[in-house]
Amino acid sequence: MNVGVAHSEVNPNTRVMNSRGMWLTYALGVGLLHIVLLSIPFFSVPVAWTLTNIIHNLGMYVFLHAVKGTPFETPDQGKARLLTHWEQLDYGVQFTSSRKFFTISPIILVASGVLNSSKRPSTMHQLVLEQRRMKNTKDTRYFLASFYTKYDPTHFILNTASLLSVLIPKMPQLHGVRIFGINKY
Amino acid sequence: MATATEQWVLVEMVQALYEAPAYHLILEGILILWIIRLLFSKTYKLQERSDLTVKEREELIEEWQPEPLVPPISKDHPALNYNIVSGPPSHNIVVNGKECINFASFNFLGLLDNPRIKAAALASLKKYGVGACGPRGFYGTFDVHLDLEDRLAKFMKTEEAILYSYGFATIASAIPAYSKRGDIVFVDKAACFAIQKGLQASRSDIKLFKHNDMADLERLLKEQEIEDQKNPRKARVTRRFIVVEGLYMNTGAICPLPELVKLKYKYKARIFLEESLSFGVLGEHGRGVTEHYGINIDDIDLISANMENSLASVGGFCCGRSFVIDHQRLSGQGYCFSASLPPLLAAAAIEALNIMEENPGIFALLKEKCEQIHKALQGISGLKVVGESFSPAFHLQLENSTGSREDDVKLLQEIVNQCMNRSVALTQARYLEREEKWLPPPSIRVVVTVEQTEEELEEAAATIKEVAQAILL
Repeated sequence: MNVGVAHSEVNPNTRVMNSRGMWLTYALGVGLLHIVLLSIPFFSVPVAWTLTNIIHNLGMYVFLHAVKGTPFETPDQGKARLLTHWEQLDYGVQFTSSRKFFTISPIILVASGVLNSSKRPSTMHQLVLEQRRMKNTKDTRYFLASFYTKYDPTHFILNTASLLSVLIPKMPQLHGVRIFGINKY
Repeated sequence: MATATEQWVLVEMVQALYEAPAYHLILEGILILWIIRLLFSKTYKLQERSDLTVKEREELIEEWQPEPLVPPISKDHPALNYNIVSGPPSHNIVVNGKECINFASFNFLGLLDNPRIKAAALASLKKYGVGACGPRGFYGTFDVHLDLEDRLAKFMKTEEAILYSYGFATIASAIPAYSKRGDIVFVDKAACFAIQKGLQASRSDIKLFKHNDMADLERLLKEQEIEDQKNPRKARVTRRFIVVEGLYMNTGAICPLPELVKLKYKYKARIFLEESLSFGVLGEHGRGVTEHYGINIDDIDLISANMENSLASVGGFCCGRSFVIDHQRLSGQGYCFSASLPPLLAAAAIEALNIMEENPGIFALLKEKCEQIHKALQGISGLKVVGESFSPAFHLQLENSTGSREDDVKLLQEIVNQCMNRSVALTQARYLEREEKWLPPPSIRVVVTVEQTEEELEEAAATIKEVAQAILL
């Protein structure tokens, strides 16, 4: 199902993520979010990365794993009324290409975030400059120690937690599972 | 110079990797492994059918015997021996060449042969042609359709009405438009076939209550209330409906609407009222069962009726509040995906409404005639009258059944044939016996119209009495 074509799909929610241009739009959207966050002067680079992760994962959780049903009326008399969007994708077939893409993309995002949250210099150029400075002070041990500031574990924990919150509902073992009856009806 | 810088940067990166804390590396390692596993997983469906071995499949194919496409039926099946009507099925009907008085067609107000209606239909035919050639969404909406919807809404004193082009499809489309999977519908056991098909299409939970038994309905509603209290979150998303008919086609009884409205407000369910037989029959002005009982029409959420009985047209309509009826404009399958009513039939229906509004005395007249024949047919040996005294379509059932339905049907058919020989055209009530949820006993359905004179009614009653006496004793 692509935008602007006549289709006879019973539940368009199942095919929307396969539509032409959807993945690119999603990637560009995430990129835009990150650039906006980077542009805010108060946030340092690691904070911007962690915020991107958290906002992206929160949005993904709400839209794919919290909201149930369809925004339109389907001719199958409401078969998907109690299913989240993730459960509706591709009519419940696991490990399709869309599902793989949307599982891998938060991983890559978080991996980049974790790599950048260590308060290391964000560009190789800065790294080179700092190296030169350090070499001039002849204190390489201090240089290495300065890589890992006390904010590192916090960022790491935040990123990992939000990544888990978005990866675990995607597992096929959790298809249709509602823990403690939350979000069941 | 550039190469040296790059090499040096690479060394620094590797150094940084060595110096990263352990949990970083472990996490990134796990993530990389997860990505690789994902990329190489095959797609599979969650519920797999049980796989049969090739041998089992061959066995199953060997032992399968195809059923005949057309099942064998006896030669005297009624569908194969039908009566042929020449001319209009009006008051005097010519069946198989013999002229009879029509006691079988649902022409309650005698509007089938009305010259005014014929003139209106002809004028419309000359203006619009014969068919509509399109559904309502694709150039199938004519001004006569909008006029008729407007007139029906005004006549029934509701906000809006919606037209369907086939009477059966009206209620069968209306129910699934509102009631979906997971919703609960409480319906009378004796509901007509169209309601049953609508319920089947809706995929909802159906709870049948005994015919016209409000105590049984209340019991079911109470049980549902207890279930709801156990699981209030589920109850909040479940819709509840009660589907009843005004005058039941299968039994001629009237639904106790005041009690139903009380139950509706007590247990928070919505009422869908099917008024095919009571529209244009009950009430001072023919507005149906709500007028008959004096109930405010806003208490009923949806009224559905077909125009094939009193209005002597084709098709059906639903009326109610705009908020309710508007939903069917996109969700009523029979509305969106069938061609619209031919304009000449819509014009005929408008004219029929005009006639109904001009002489409201015909409803009282019809009621008198019903009561007359009801009284006259009491006390026939072997047959009992089933239905309300003011119901123009009632049933004559055998008092003592022979034991098998086939024999009962044969017996009643004998009576019908004999009456036909004596110029009284009757019919048996026919059902799809295997499809009905609650198959009523075989019966002769007698229909009273305003066009039948009192003498004709007395004569018909006498004829039926004689024939029944001759055959059943």
